[in-house]
This record gives sequence, structure tokens and C-alpha cells, in this order.
Amino acid sequence: MRKNWYLRIGGALSLLMLIFCAVGLFWTPHDPSAISAADRYALPSPAHLFGCDALGRDIFSRVLQGAAATLTIALAVLAIGAVCGLVIGGLCGYFGGAADAIVMRLCDAIAAFPSVLLALVVMALTGAGRYHLIFALGVLFIPSFARLVRGEFLRQRDLDYVKSARLMGVSPLRIVFVHILPNTFPVLLSGLTIGFNNAVLAEASMSFLGIGVTPQDPSLGYMLSEAQGYLLKTPWYAGFLALTTILLILGVGLLGEGIRSETGVEA
Amino acid sequence: MTEPIFSAAHLNSWYGRGRERKQVLRDVTLSLSPGEALGVVGESGSGKSTLAKCLLGLVTDVEGTLTVNSPRPQMVFQDPYGSLNPAKTVGWILEEPLRAAGVKDKNQRRRRVEEMAALVGLGEEHLSRKPARLSGGQRQRVAIAAALIQGSRFIVLDEPVSALDVTLQAQILRLLADLKERLGLSYLFISHDLAVVYQLCDRVAVMTGGEIVEQGDVDDIYDHPQHDYTKKLLAASLALDG
Ligand SMILES: Nc1ncnc2c1ncn2[C@@H]1O[C@H](COP(=O)(O)OP(=O)(O)OP(=O)(O)O)[C@@H](O)[C@H]1O
Ligand SMILES: [Mg+2]
Repeated sequence: MRKNWYLRIGGALSLLMLIFCAVGLFWTPHDPSAISAADRYALPSPAHLFGCDALGRDIFSRVLQGAAATLTIALAVLAIGAVCGLVIGGLCGYFGGAADAIVMRLCDAIAAFPSVLLALVVMALTGAGRYHLIFALGVLFIPSFARLVRGEFLRQRDLDYVKSARLMGVSPLRIVFVHILPNTFPVLLSGLTIGFNNAVLAEASMSFLGIGVTPQDPSLGYMLSEAQGYLLKTPWYAGFLALTTILLILGVGLLGEGIRSETGVEA
Repeated sequence: MTEPIFSAAHLNSWYGRGRERKQVLRDVTLSLSPGEALGVVGESGSGKSTLAKCLLGLVTDVEGTLTVNSPRPQMVFQDPYGSLNPAKTVGWILEEPLRAAGVKDKNQRRRRVEEMAALVGLGEEHLSRKPARLSGGQRQRVAIAAALIQGSRFIVLDEPVSALDVTLQAQILRLLADLKERLGLSYLFISHDLAVVYQLCDRVAVMTGGEIVEQGDVDDIYDHPQHDYTKKLLAASLALDG
């Protein structure tokens, strides 16, 4: 059998980054927000693997913490977008009709705006903070998933196995969620990898702009805006943050590519 | 006189809407008696599958009168690769009609599935597999079992053997004939192959361009075809056999 290197490398890298991010949820070598005047701009050393920032905080610990925050936010955004998109897209695709036309027009309208811009507006109304950010981005992620899932349901609903289920008297909702849904997983999985990367980038840009998370709950994007302030003194801070983000996105992107070539899914 | 399994009179059916609307069935009148096997033959695109779907209520744009007197008629579809849910195991696929029929007891369902699998010649080992890991013949056996498991007595078979090679065709046809005897089934059997219809059916209707041009006892049609199209079909089928 042909070896799928995208799948292997992407899977391995994603797993590695996932573990890295998850570690930050439970453990960091130092308290990531402990200030120490003596360690300001400290160079990398055995005690501080990546040195310290302008306030003497351990950079390695901060990156771990930021990665964990970014991961949880991205996953939560994805969960909202995917679950709602799945239900909406599934029902619209299977039942069609006027409700479908209205809902899809609405999705088009939302998707027509740049999502970060829309999220900006929502955040301006609700204020900064992790949960507001998750809500704003999550809602904005619904249309793309709904569209993806709907397209797949439109294709599947005319297949004979669905007709056969109808003849047997299986209820329409059961056909949608039990019979057809599992057959949309390859497409959904590929959509999830794209969505994950978009979520990471959206979270990073918004937090970088200062309208995402709060300073008490920093993410990779927020830290990057900090690191930018003393780019010349500790360039490795920004470098390490960027590297973490890039590897995370690269791994999941490759994984998605691998899934697509494995299952023959297009988008 | 007993009630017919189904009787259709002057059925017309269309696909598409507006300017795209295209008539597929024209004035089709047909009925089926209990215990009978009625063949429908015709070339590709003549409307055979559409007729089958009309009888089962799977096509919406229909005019004419239709009564079906058999509860939960079932269909075995033309393509055994599309008619079984690829995400589920054979065991699940066979259990689902029982769940839909309200059989709550899991053990009872499993027992029924095993009985039915044995009846169509599937082994226990097939039940845990997904359709992708079955041969075409095995898939068609699963489709037949699924059609029968709710106890339906009227089965529409849409070219159930066309996708199979000749030895498998003979096996499945024998299975169908055997099941019909044992369970007292009535078939509407669709095929483009007159020889196959001859083996299984009592009566045959010949279709072309969405119309039924001739129907009657299989032997009569074979020995004394009236319509030119039937003669052409017969000649073609003899040429293939010879
Ligand atoms: N879903 C559909 N939408 C539009 N047109 C259709 C649809 N299904 C079938 N048709 C058209 O209706 C006509 C009859 O199709 P049907 O499938 O009933 O033919 P058939 O006799 O079963 O052919 P075959 O032997 O190839 O299965 C064909 O011209 C076909 O192109
Ligand atoms: Mg057909």
C-alpha cells in the first residue's frame, strides 16, 4: 500500500504539539506570572530554559501556558462551530425547503464579512475575555461548517441506503443523525483540521490586537504582542511563540491534507 | 377473487421542474396477484426503476391511481454498493428494520437477524463486517435479508443480479425462487435480461420509453411476441445465448 506521508508526519507533529499544549494546562517549570526584578531579560540558562522577559517572568513557562490557552480556546470554538454547523447543515441538507433557503442565505450573509472583523464588533460589545472570545468566534465558525455538512447531506440523501431506511419506516431524524451523519465524517474531519487552524489564527490575531483574552489569562497571540515590545532584547521570546504557533498549524494542516488524500475528500 | 398486491392504473410520472420537467412514465397500468412474480423488462432508461420507486412512494411527481395492499413493501436496489449503509456493520443494518418496527428486546433482534442471515446464506462471521468487506453477491444477500426481516411479503427487486457475474446470478436467482416458495412472497422483478425473467417470473411486462407496450404470461410472450420492441428484445437475448 502507498504510504501517506502527510498523514504520518502531520499526525506525529499534531500529536507532539497537542501534548506540548496539554502539558501547559497542568504544569509549568515556574509560575508563568511570577515577576522577578533580578531576572529581567535573563539569558537562557538551565534554570530558565528560554530566559526571562521584561518583567523577569520565565519565558518557557509562559509559552507553555499560552499554548494551553490557545489550544483550549481553539478547540472550544471548533466544538461550537462544528456541533451547531452539523445540526443546522444536516437538517437543512436533508429536509431542504424554505427553511433551508432562509438559513443558508443567513449563513451567506455572515460568511460575507471577514470573520475577524465581525468578531471584533462582537467583542467590542461584550468586552474582552476568554469566554466572550470563544462565543464570538464559535458563532462565526458555524456557517462554514453548516455549508460543508449540508453539501454532503444533499449528496447522501439521494443514495439508495437512505431510501431503503425510509422504506423500513426509520424516522427522519434518526436517518439524519444515525444513518447519514457517520458517512459525513471524512468530510467533517477534513473541515475540522482547516477550522482548527483558522481558529488558532483568529484567536491569535484578536488577542494580538488586544481584543481577545485578558492579560491575566494570556494566549500565544497576546504574548506575541508583549514580546513585540522588546523584540531586540529577547528575540527568542517572539521566535519561540511564533515557532509554537507555526508547528501547531503546520502539523494539523498536514494531517488534514493526509486525511483528504486518504479519503478522496475534496474541500 | 383475492385482492391484488398492488394495482396501478394510468400512472404518469415526471422528473425535474418547470422547463426541465421530463415525463418518464406514460400511462402505466399494471397489477400483481399474491404469490406471483411479475417481471418488468426494457432497455436502460426506459423507466423501470422509476416505476418501482413510484409503487413504493419514493417518487413524488406522480399522477394516476395506485393502491398497494401489502404492508411495508420493500425494495432490493439495483446497485448493491449504494444500497447498504457503508458506515455500519451488516449486523447493524439487519437489526435496524427491527428497531424501526419497534422490537425493543436486543436478544430477540439478534436472534431474528441470525435466523434471517442463515436463510439467505450468510454466516455469523459476516455480521460483524462492513459492506465494503463483502463481495457483490454477499451484499445482495444482505439487501434481500434486510428487505425480508420486517416480514414484508411484497418485494420489489430492481435488477438484483445485474451487477453480478453469471454463476452468482444463478445462485441469487435460486435463492429468490426458494424464498418466494418458503415465505409466500410476491415479486416485482425488474431486469433488462429476458432470460433472467424467464427463470423466475410468471408474468412479464415489456417497457420502452416509459410505456408498457405488452404484458402477459411469460410463455405467451416468449412464444408469440406481439409488439416489435418485444421481438427485438427476444432476438437480442437469443443472439446473446447462442
Ligand atoms: N433522479 C432523477 N432525476 C432526473 N431524471 C432521472 C432521475 N432518475 C432517472 N431519471 C431519468 O429517467 C429516465 C428513466 O430512468 P430509470 O432509472 O427509471 O430507468 P431504468 O429503466 O431503470 O434504467 P436502467 O436499466 O439503466 O436502470 C432516464 O432517462 C433517466 O435519465
Ligand atoms: Mg434502473
